Order: sequence, then structure tokens, then C-alpha cells
Amino acid sequence: MRSGFVASLPMIMAEPVSRKALKAVDKSAPIAASQPVPETELVKHARKGDLEAYDELVRRYQERIYATIYHMTSNHEDANDLAQESFIKAFHALKSFKGGSSFYTWVYRIAVNKTINFLKQRKNRVQMSLDDLDFNAEHDPDLVALISEKTPRREINLAELQEKLNEAMQKLSESHRLVVTLHDVQGLSHEEIAKIMDCNIGTVRSRLFYARQQMQAYLSDYLK
Amino acid sequence: MSMNPDPDNFEGLRSLLALKRHEQPPPGYFNSFAREVRVRIQAGERAADSGFFARLLDLQGFWASFEAKPILAGAGGVAACAFLLVGIIYSTEKMDAQPQALVPPVADANLGLGSRHVPRSSVFEVPALASFQLNNNLANFASPSSFLPVQPVNFVMPEN
Repeated sequence: MRSGFVASLPMIMAEPVSRKALKAVDKSAPIAASQPVPETELVKHARKGDLEAYDELVRRYQERIYATIYHMTSNHEDANDLAQESFIKAFHALKSFKGGSSFYTWVYRIAVNKTINFLKQRKNRVQMSLDDLDFNAEHDPDLVALISEKTPRREINLAELQEKLNEAMQKLSESHRLVVTLHDVQGLSHEEIAKIMDCNIGTVRSRLFYARQQMQAYLSDYLK
Repeated sequence: MSMNPDPDNFEGLRSLLALKRHEQPPPGYFNSFAREVRVRIQAGERAADSGFFARLLDLQGFWASFEAKPILAGAGGVAACAFLLVGIIYSTEKMDAQPQALVPPVADANLGLGSRHVPRSSVFEVPALASFQLNNNLANFASPSSFLPVQPVNFVMPEN
């Protein structure tokens, strides 16, 4: 897309263009650069094997896909492998993508299925490899309130809390962990989660309620 | 204040889960992510282009597939045994056909020992090959005489 425009530019400039035409090129350039290419266009080009277009799709969704897999596995290396494999699988399966849902939902579904299969193979052999907390964690109002003096376990630090939280997450079943991850961590709506998990909204709500109850029981020492 | 949170009030839990949003991969991780995906896609395409036999020659992957699926190793062993058995049977049948072609017809031989009467029978009399029966029975297969064309020779001395 972008490369096509860049490639055509020297040809335009080589022609004896009028000042009016040159202005038209100058005006169109910033618009083309600032406006994001629609997802459908990128998908159309990627289906033809255009890796530049697919790169752009990967860059758009890499953080969310990685984060979902990471929160499911609590392991950075596994999340890295699975996220890459999900995008590779999606690229090879692009021809079967009918466009019934957004590319985003479709690739999410691939990543989720791949992760659940991986977790079933891994069974209970959980080996956590946690990402570091960013600098903003110490200033997050929710967390500040949680580790304030009113908290029963106020001596706990954020790293320990992070570990306990991940342990509690790993005690949930895959489907319950996924609902908590998508809703409470990533902020997806019930409708979006239902599409990704291919189930109805009622199922999503009931799973979320049960998962929260379980988590609350596991983490009762750390909650007000 | 109660130590046990209200089971239907998840505000505390949701605050705690906010911590998960602050977990971040190493700095610069996403800068190279798309490139790594692209490299792996291109590597896969190259491997697919090189064909089945080229991949078969990739011994590391070949043995890894045996490790991953032991049933493949079993199937490979059965196939090797079947191949060996077919080879044995085929070679046995080939030997069955060979003796008639290999041994030339033996004519009566007169060695020309003077003008004296020489019996009709030759010095080296070879019995008819029809009497030679090759036994395909695998039980007798171990004995070399069962498949080698051993031909008894009657040695007749000329009369004085």
C-alpha cells in the first residue's frame, strides 16, 4: 500500500508536471501517510501474499494477542512462541477467512484455540516466567488503595502480589481464566468475548461470575 | 472490617487484576515481533518449496518426529520388516526360475578314448534337470542344498 504509493512517486515527478498537479501530489501525501489503511484493504493484500500488508496487521494486534496469551500462560517465552505461531497460522489460513467477522476477532480466535490446546498439553506443569511490572504500577490508584494501610497484608510488595495473582489465575480452568483475562484484564465486552469463544453471552457471564468467586477465594488474604 | 470479602462484590478483585495490565514484556520486544513473524513465514515457504525429499533429508526433524510420535517409529519398523520379507520371497522366486536357464543342456559326451567301444553313457552323466525340485518351503530354506542347484554326477569308468 504505502510502498505502492512511494514507488509511483518518482514516475509522477519525472513527468513534466504542471504546478497544479504537483500541488495535488503534495496535498495527497500527508493524507495518505496520516490515515490508517483500512483493515479490509490490508487483509485483501495479505491474502495475495503481500507480506508488507500482513506486517501492518501484525503490528496492529501484536500487543493484544501477546497479552492475552501471556495472561493465560503466565510465561513470557510460551506467550512469545504461541503469539508468533498464531500469526503464522493466520497468514496461511487467510484464504479461508470469509470476512464474516473482523480480522481482529478471527485472529484472536486462532490465538485462543492455540493457547488452550497448548495448556491442555502442558496440563498442570505450570512454570511461570513473569514479565516485569512497568513504572506506572506503583502509581496506579487501584493498586495504591489496595496496598495502603487498610489492607490486611500491607507489608506485601507489588512483586509478591503479582506472583500470588498469577498463581491464582493458573488455578482456574482454561475457559474461566480466558473470560477473566479478556474481560477484567483486557476490557473486552461480553459480546466480543462470546464471539471469540464461540458461545452465548449468558455463558460468558456465568463463567465470569464463577471465575471471580474462585479468584476471590484464592486471594482473600490480599483483598480488603 | 471483615477479613473475608463479600463473595458477590468483586471491586477489590478487579482492582487487584489491574496489576496484570502493568505486566509488560522487555523494552523493545514489539519492535522486532512483526519482523520475526515475517522471517518465520518466509522460512516456512522456503521449506515448502524445497519439497518432501529435502525435508526428509533434514535428519534432525526426521528423528524429532519419531520422538514426538513413537507410533511412527513402530510403523517404520513394520515397513522395514515387510520390505525385507518381500525381498526374500522375490529373490526365492527368481532362483526358482534361474536353474533351467543357467545350466546348459548337457549332451552325451564322447571323450574320444581310442576306437574302442565307448558306452552310450557319457563320462560325466548329468541327470535330467527335471528331477531337480526347488523347495520353496521356508522351513527348509535354511539349508543351502534346498536352494542351490546341486546336481549329482555319476562317474562311469570306460571299459578296458
